[in-house]
Amino acid sequence: MRRSTGTKPAVKAGARIREHRLENGLTVLLAERHLDPVVAVMLWYRVGSRDEEEREAGVSHFLEHMMFKGTRSIGKGEIDRLTTSLGGMNNAFTTADHTAYWFEFASDRWEKALEIEADRMRHLLLDPAEFDSEKKVVLEELAMGDDDPWRVLTREVQLALFKRHPYRRPVIGFTDSLKAMRVEDMRDYYQRFYGPTNAVLVICGDFEPQKALAAARRQFGRIAGKTDAAPRAPYRPALEEPAGEFRVEVRWDDEGRRLCMAWPTVSVGTDEDWALDLASTLLAGGKLSRLYRRLVVEQRLATSVSSHNDSRVEAGIFWLFVEAAQGVDPRRLERAVDEELERLAAKEATAAELTRAKRLIAAGEAHESETVSDIAEDLGEFAVDARWQLALSALDRIAAVPASAVRACAAKLLVPQRRVVGWCLPRAGAGKRPRPKP
Amino acid sequence: MTPSTPKLAIPFVRFELRCGAVLVVSPRPSAPIVSIHIHVRGGPALDPPRRNGMAFLTGALADQGTKRRSEEEIAAALEPEGGEIAGDAGGLSGSIVNERWEMLVDLLAEILTSASYPAPEVARQKQRLLDRLVVEKDDPRVQGGLLFRKLVYGDHWLGRASRGTLESLPRIDARSLRAFRESNWVGRRAVIAVCGDVLPESVRRRFDRVLAKWEPGEPYVPSTPSFPPVARRVDAFTAKRQQVHLYVGHLGIARNDPDYAALVLMDHVLGTGPGFTNRISRRLRDELGLAYSVSANIHASAGLLPGTFTAYIGTSPQHLATAAAGFVEEIRRVQTELVGKDELEVAKSYLIGSFPLGFERASRRASYLVSAELHKFAPDHLERLLAEFAAVSAEDVRRVARAHLFPDGSCIAAAGPIGRAELVKKVSPRPGRARTTRR
Repeated sequence: MRRSTGTKPAVKAGARIREHRLENGLTVLLAERHLDPVVAVMLWYRVGSRDEEEREAGVSHFLEHMMFKGTRSIGKGEIDRLTTSLGGMNNAFTTADHTAYWFEFASDRWEKALEIEADRMRHLLLDPAEFDSEKKVVLEELAMGDDDPWRVLTREVQLALFKRHPYRRPVIGFTDSLKAMRVEDMRDYYQRFYGPTNAVLVICGDFEPQKALAAARRQFGRIAGKTDAAPRAPYRPALEEPAGEFRVEVRWDDEGRRLCMAWPTVSVGTDEDWALDLASTLLAGGKLSRLYRRLVVEQRLATSVSSHNDSRVEAGIFWLFVEAAQGVDPRRLERAVDEELERLAAKEATAAELTRAKRLIAAGEAHESETVSDIAEDLGEFAVDARWQLALSALDRIAAVPASAVRACAAKLLVPQRRVVGWCLPRAGAGKRPRPKP
Repeated sequence: MTPSTPKLAIPFVRFELRCGAVLVVSPRPSAPIVSIHIHVRGGPALDPPRRNGMAFLTGALADQGTKRRSEEEIAAALEPEGGEIAGDAGGLSGSIVNERWEMLVDLLAEILTSASYPAPEVARQKQRLLDRLVVEKDDPRVQGGLLFRKLVYGDHWLGRASRGTLESLPRIDARSLRAFRESNWVGRRAVIAVCGDVLPESVRRRFDRVLAKWEPGEPYVPSTPSFPPVARRVDAFTAKRQQVHLYVGHLGIARNDPDYAALVLMDHVLGTGPGFTNRISRRLRDELGLAYSVSANIHASAGLLPGTFTAYIGTSPQHLATAAAGFVEEIRRVQTELVGKDELEVAKSYLIGSFPLGFERASRRASYLVSAELHKFAPDHLERLLAEFAAVSAEDVRRVARAHLFPDGSCIAAAGPIGRAELVKKVSPRPGRARTTRR
């Protein structure tokens, strides 16, 4: 052990948290909570679609699939079999900035997760036959997404939002990049990014910290760290300030009229990130939010509205999604949205409205910290994208944001000349299908 | 390998309230959230003719106003306290940060007993749902699922869209919702489950007080269900998409079926076990690469009435015949061959060992307690169920597979770039092949 936090552990949702750093650079976060006899183990790598070259788009996510396909010592299918035979669960996910692997076990058998993760951190097999077989699965996953109008629309909007930066690309990649991908390319990628210096291990739940740390050292300590602290990342074009409003249109075989607006924003954990959380809640959080009241309740222009402050490592995206009510002119709906955005940028929210938003976020945090996996996910995501301590201080930071900062942030970032407006509209002839019988 | 059983206790106290409702409270010290589920027996079974969706709207629109408060006032009371309430055909549910549990009890009781369904709000919310259904009528995933249920259940209410249809919803208005609630949401039909850091007696006192004037009414008496015979019925919903959603299956089991535990094991071997530990995922996804999403299951939909056995895959049209044949062959294999010892032990170990993992959330515990009351589970039900899983043999799995799976009598619904005639052609077994097994 090279470094540990001080003697007093931090606490989140009843979990006592300590940070340790192994000699090889692996960060270990232990979050001890004994409410249930359960332990979640998550291993996070600082690698995602942001780290890919254009030609290898989708390799991070595809590699995540391959991490279940066997190592030198664990055969194909064995990770699932071992997990299952111990009554555990596992899964994984990939984003633009990170890839995370998750196990949950009863507290008397969770250490198997460490053995598996340590093994596949260094000894992944990447068998060519398995690679070819799994490529078909990933292509089917991509086809599944291509049948979802919201996914298609957000993909097109994101492609337009960042002109050159890899944040523009969908995490799953493209059909042509996936088809052309070779197992040698993936092996090189794996060797570049999978190692202790680029990872954070989070263990959360019902365990004894000293034993857990000893187990982590036993399993991961023998893996050599790389000499360079940060793996080789591709050349990444700078994020450009949008040159004006950009519009995209998608046609679909149904009668839906879907609106997606997106603005490039800020990095996770910045002051403006917290202000955007509040802006998102003021606009579309709950039944008293501005857009819900106006678009859904009062003017009946929309059937649903939602927003998402998607802050990332290098920059973020502020998303706004609206589904128009039948028969509503899209231009009228868009005007109403614009008026609310202008109001947010022009006038400060009232004290009552801001308090409601802050309390709504705080309540959401309570709901999202109910399980050990919830806590492990929150800690891990902040740890790889910024600093894990933000998982503890986020609510205080949001509580401290004044109305003036929310207004200023909206005026600076959420303006028409910085956004992409995407519409998914009915294709000619859509909706002619006879209605189903009662 | 001997499965060991992690400790899992869901202690609860059961009360009968003065209004006739059953209240079950499960204290969970230090829990951050309290969850309350209120189930009202009957649900969509009570939808009047040509008005399906009535029970759903009664639940879904209950928070649109009461005799005392508007929809906006309800939201204003709840949201700043971190509360949420939702309703559906089965009743109401809600959750809130633990220290505000009394407020949630009061609001749920107010909605339960005096939801007023104001006409403008009902019209608005009904129109929202109609707009959604207009969009969904072209969605293969939604229509494929509905088509499959229609093939399996025929005209029984389980075969209908529980949210209603474009034709039935306009026949439902505010007055009829009020009448439906008053007739059917009565004390003696209700089961209330509460889980959180609460004292059972305090919760009992609170509910008894706020539901003191609730009409006890008459208990719900279910009618004898009638379903179409298990037989091959095939239909397709055609839409231009990349993938076809294929559903293969038939009428399943009720939760009180004596073969339930053995069927859960069978499901995990056949098509439900996590990752690639089940045969259908291993074969169709892992080995053949036909799909991202594939599964088969009979136990998950088992309720007071029979659920369905459903094998599902979302795949490209050129793989459809292979996928359908793969389903049938794996079903036949589990019906003819004894499951290997290792395979069975892995499934048992998973079911027994993973039990505590599903009960971390208060809402999951509350939902279980409602089920336990509806199905009259014994207080030691969870313990017994784990023992039943442990006792299932390979012979049991083969026996229940033979008794409950009917590959020749399966309904087949597909939705996507395929027509009915092409579907029939693709899923018809070739002579001499239907009974072959892969291994």
